[in-house]
Amino acid sequence: MKNIELIKLPFSKNNPILVQVLGVCSCLAVTAQLKPAVVMALSVIVVVALANLIISLLRNTIPPRIRIIVQLVVVSTLVVLVDQVLKAYVYDVSKQLSVFVGLIITNCIVMGRLEAFAMSNPPLPSLLDGIGNGLGYSVVLVTLGFVRELLGSGTLWGYPVMERLGLYHIGYENNGLMIMPPMALILVGIIIWIHRTRNKDICEK
Amino acid sequence: MAKKNFSNTYIFIYSAVLVVVAALILTVVSVSLKPMQTKNQQAEQKQMILKTIGVEATRDNAAELYAKYITEKTNEKGLPYYSFEARGEGLYRHGGYIIPLNGTGLWGPIWGYLAIDIDASSSVVGAVFDHKGETPGLGGEIATDKFANRFIGKSMDVCPIVLKKNASKDFPYSKYEVDAISGGTMTSNGVSAMLEKAFNDYSDLVEWLMI
Repeated sequence: MKNIELIKLPFSKNNPILVQVLGVCSCLAVTAQLKPAVVMALSVIVVVALANLIISLLRNTIPPRIRIIVQLVVVSTLVVLVDQVLKAYVYDVSKQLSVFVGLIITNCIVMGRLEAFAMSNPPLPSLLDGIGNGLGYSVVLVTLGFVRELLGSGTLWGYPVMERLGLYHIGYENNGLMIMPPMALILVGIIIWIHRTRNKDICEK
Repeated sequence: MAKKNFSNTYIFIYSAVLVVVAALILTVVSVSLKPMQTKNQQAEQKQMILKTIGVEATRDNAAELYAKYITEKTNEKGLPYYSFEARGEGLYRHGGYIIPLNGTGLWGPIWGYLAIDIDASSSVVGAVFDHKGETPGLGGEIATDKFANRFIGKSMDVCPIVLKKNASKDFPYSKYEVDAISGGTMTSNGVSAMLEKAFNDYSDLVEWLMI
């Protein structure tokens, strides 16, 4: 597989959320606003990319019998690092994300890529595969965050878009359901629907 | 994956080295980022205290505003509390004191601050609560303004404020009862217990009207 494909595929045809349906839990939980969605996306990109790289470098030394434990140690270390950095530099966001940063450890995308790719591929492709899957996850997260914050709270990144447009004066109301996790699930469903309509070849027969 | 046979000794040494390396990295990072994290937490605490007296501070100007409005004190039992000067015409016209609250919710620690008027009424002029990991949407609601504002006008003069389902609207009970959170009973009980503890700990601050 060409290196460029490794980044491109997870974006659409092999998207971790839309096609592999992994990492949906955090995707419903942190997308009520754009900012936490973006920070979560960046954190996952960093963790998946670095975990893939490290595991790929170690892959020939890892005894198969304890490989899951080794993967977990590497992932946990990276996640705690990310959590510490967030607490120091973007404290408010880290409070909002609270448990979900810790839960990156159990995000199926991370373990999935380590098992499926990094354990059997050289470092560079593994790094790219990690970045690609992280980006694929991010695209969905940011889209959801954008739609949910705009329609649910009438703001974008905290900026009152709807108020500035003067929509409230002509009877516009925020849709409270958008902020609730169930609406995120429905939105993911709609995105998957559109995605599959446009990519008939990934549909199961 | 290479089909190599790894001996048990190799596996033990491998895991030991891996864990030690991971621990070393984490220790270094944790120690080097600690000062910044502590600063953030202190700024947040100051923001919370300021919020009980209606001063909205950002993380950057919290320390400055805190120095301007708040004085740190200790009561007879040696417990810390804060006092604020009279300010403006509204709720904060008499000044008063702010007592810290600490307790446990359903899943972990909960805490908060209660600003009390120094006037004879000893009524609450502001409250703020936060939690470590209460259930979002249920017990986690204690961190919202909507919940905290229910405390304004209540009083701790003769007994602690208690959280109840369908709090009484009749005087004098209405002075000491606040609507609990539906679906957050355990957290609400935690808040009640925390208020009772504060009532006992800081009894010397309260105007004992009944005596």
